[in-house]
Amino acid sequence: MSHHFVKYTNVHYRYEDGTEALKGVDFKVTHGERVALLGLNGSGKSTLLLLTDALLFPSEGEVNVGDVPVTKKTAETIRRSVGFVFQDPDDMLFMPSIYDDVAFGPRNMNLPEQEVERRVNKSLQEVGLKGMEEKSAYQLSGGQRRSAAIACVLSMEPDILLLDEPSANLDARARRSLIELLKGFKHTIILATHDLEMAEELCERTVILSEGVVAFDGNTSQIFSDPEILKNVGLL
Amino acid sequence: MTKLEKAYLAVNNIDRIRRRTDSSPVILLVTIIYLIAVLSVPVDRPQGIVWLAAYPVIASEMQGIGYGKVFVKSIWILPLLVIIGVFNPIFDKVTVLHIGSLAVNRGWLTFISIIFRGLLSFQAVILMILTTGFIDIFNMMRKVGFPSVLCTQMLLSYRYLFVILEEAIVMKRAREARGYGRKAYPFSMWGRFIGQLLMKSTRRATGIHRAMMARGFSGTLPLGAKYSWNKRSWIWLISWTAVIALLRFMDFSKIITEIIVR
Repeated sequence: MSHHFVKYTNVHYRYEDGTEALKGVDFKVTHGERVALLGLNGSGKSTLLLLTDALLFPSEGEVNVGDVPVTKKTAETIRRSVGFVFQDPDDMLFMPSIYDDVAFGPRNMNLPEQEVERRVNKSLQEVGLKGMEEKSAYQLSGGQRRSAAIACVLSMEPDILLLDEPSANLDARARRSLIELLKGFKHTIILATHDLEMAEELCERTVILSEGVVAFDGNTSQIFSDPEILKNVGLL
Repeated sequence: MTKLEKAYLAVNNIDRIRRRTDSSPVILLVTIIYLIAVLSVPVDRPQGIVWLAAYPVIASEMQGIGYGKVFVKSIWILPLLVIIGVFNPIFDKVTVLHIGSLAVNRGWLTFISIIFRGLLSFQAVILMILTTGFIDIFNMMRKVGFPSVLCTQMLLSYRYLFVILEEAIVMKRAREARGYGRKAYPFSMWGRFIGQLLMKSTRRATGIHRAMMARGFSGTLPLGAKYSWNKRSWIWLISWTAVIALLRFMDFSKIITEIIVR
């Protein structure tokens, strides 16, 4: 088990066009915790995840992954321990075959090809895509693409898993498989989603972002027992 | 399936079927040697190139691809070659030989030579791509000493083509879904279509780049192909180098003529 935590301290982020996506976010995700990140479109969920994986850097404030602050210098170290499943699986599937896509991360980690193969096979097995190695992403269904994108990250064996709306466009069966798969992931998960049921089933804690700030931070069960919380941020 | 989708899958298949078997830079080296041989034939001696056609014919048959397929694909380059050589017969009118009463000027010879050289060179490259796949070619280029940055740039440009194609397929579908059978569109609309395509593909490319960075990409695309250079590679390289040298330097036309005359 990892001993990684993620800590956001007064995090601000402003895009180049002037849009202020985050306006002072403060919270901490401890090791092994599963946290749902809820909020309307444009509330800053994806931005926060991009900051956590050192793909963006705070305009103000600090993001820490374990003891390592997220900066350009530490980006590579951060990305080795943080796995990010993007909102659009097509962004993650750009190699000629699914095998090469899933192997992309481990190869970048300079692992021996034998170990790469082991990890790829294991990850594809876990997401139910064994036997699809030589297919191209173009030949997969939406659900399979999502699974392949998750396999791409699992093969890196990350300590922290970030998922950006992973259940979008999934049918009921694929969604159920995804939930079961994520239940088996024993490390830290931060899950940005609009899928309230998925959040309830997977995450013991929920953080709601509204207009770039934390509007709620507490037990997931609490937001379902008190609908006012969701109503106040426009989620109901 | 539309033509665009077929084209997408056809190119994608070349790399997909390469699988993770050992590959060797030998095919790249043989192709480079062949290109040097073809391009070193003086441009006013088209007869010196004819015998070099043996390489794409024999090699494509040996690889089980079939020369017909290679030849058909190589015809695409013909218009470009014609444009390159078309002014030679007009400007270079020095008579160099007579066929019966017909005077042939040097311009025609160089024109034919350009067509042959272009076709054969292109056929050799097609053969290499069909047997190896783009990704392995770029990877092998890296192996034989081409700058890593250049190879990665070429690989990424190649992958970017797929992004553009994918976006084009989506846009084409959307247009057809609301086109109600309309085929022709005004030129100005095509301009907007291309503009949109570039913007969409740039946005996708940004997403892909982020996803690559998230998985440890640091400027060099990891390809993981295993490379072998064994006895077979040496035999293949030496044999083909010898054959290409023979085809390049031996005047088979003269030899055959002498045999017939005797």
